[in-house]
Amino acid sequence: MANIELDVRVIPPGEKHPAIFRTFDALGAGEGFTLINDHDPFPLRRQFEATRPGQFQWSYVEQGPAVWRVLIEKNKA
Amino acid sequence: MKLSLSTAAAPSLSLDALDDAARGRGLDGLELVVETGDVAVLASRARAAGARIVALRAERLLDAAGAGLAWLSGELSVPASVPLAAVGDLPALARRFADAGGTLLLGVGTDLDQVVAALDALRRAGDGACLGLAWELRPGAESLKSSSAVLLAARARLRLVRLHGGGPEQREQDGRGVGPLFVDLAISGYGGSIVLTPSRPEELPRWSDWLSSRRLAGCGSTFPSGEHELDVRDVEPRDRLATILGAFGALPRGATLKITLDHDPSCMYFALEESQPAGTFEFRKVGDGPEVWNAEVTRTADA
Repeated sequence: MANIELDVRVIPPGEKHPAIFRTFDALGAGEGFTLINDHDPFPLRRQFEATRPGQFQWSYVEQGPAVWRVLIEKNKA
Repeated sequence: MKLSLSTAAAPSLSLDALDDAARGRGLDGLELVVETGDVAVLASRARAAGARIVALRAERLLDAAGAGLAWLSGELSVPASVPLAAVGDLPALARRFADAGGTLLLGVGTDLDQVVAALDALRRAGDGACLGLAWELRPGAESLKSSSAVLLAARARLRLVRLHGGGPEQREQDGRGVGPLFVDLAISGYGGSIVLTPSRPEELPRWSDWLSSRRLAGCGSTFPSGEHELDVRDVEPRDRLATILGAFGALPRGATLKITLDHDPSCMYFALEESQPAGTFEFRKVGDGPEVWNAEVTRTADA
């Protein structure tokens, strides 16, 4: 799959998290996407841990001050 | 993927002032809206400002032949988008842009017939690399129901997405299909530009505020005991966590913070869990959308 980038800065507040989980759920095992946001999405990481435990890798690519990029990868089964 | 700002968001600001504001917002550059025919002046102004121009936009061709816009596009090495309806003889225009080293993007709405017509025009003009599509997305003014079909048809030639709204208008676009559309766009592997532009001139004061300020509330003071209300719907998404954590930090033991949000407050729970010592708070979700959510946080122990 091509390099996937989801910039949630253009997504309305109520739709950001559903959009992120929809993107993750659409990934195949071993694939990933880059999440782009205007603040540190650390609560999202906890939400991933709570709802998709053991299924993902979380790597910061850029950490502010204006833009955060996180590579979120789906673990191989 | 690059997120940029149209100069239409602040027509009275100089290019470097606007570029600075865009930088502060973490945006990757500016789309320059071209209204006058004096492209040489525009080019030298853009160069003098040192602004990061990533695209050009014109409502119509500046001269009958489109030569000025083609030259400017080549000179600045950025694509120029023009509405499909404003483009006449595309094969001739395509040659002009190719000769100038520029790129012409045909602007289309979320309308499959229009996209098919534009693709047909591109094909008849030779489908060169100097041609492409710019998607004009107007979530406030049009239905996005056909967006999946539009994306499927346009994807291979899509070079730019212009989002009319976003920025300070984001909240009004909740539930209009923007989220699912950008997920589809991401999954399709789209890596081009997204340009934010105001949906209408009446919104300009809000864009000006958005570009010049960041609002923070709820930090640095101490609340008395009892119940406190905090409505973060008017706080920008990126400042909400700091606002809520700041307000919680100011809460004495036994006091409760009632939070009003326009999205599911679960992420606020995870933010508290991550940042506060265990056993210092109780979190309750009250109600469940779809437009307004409430949550209550009680401080049960001092940090």
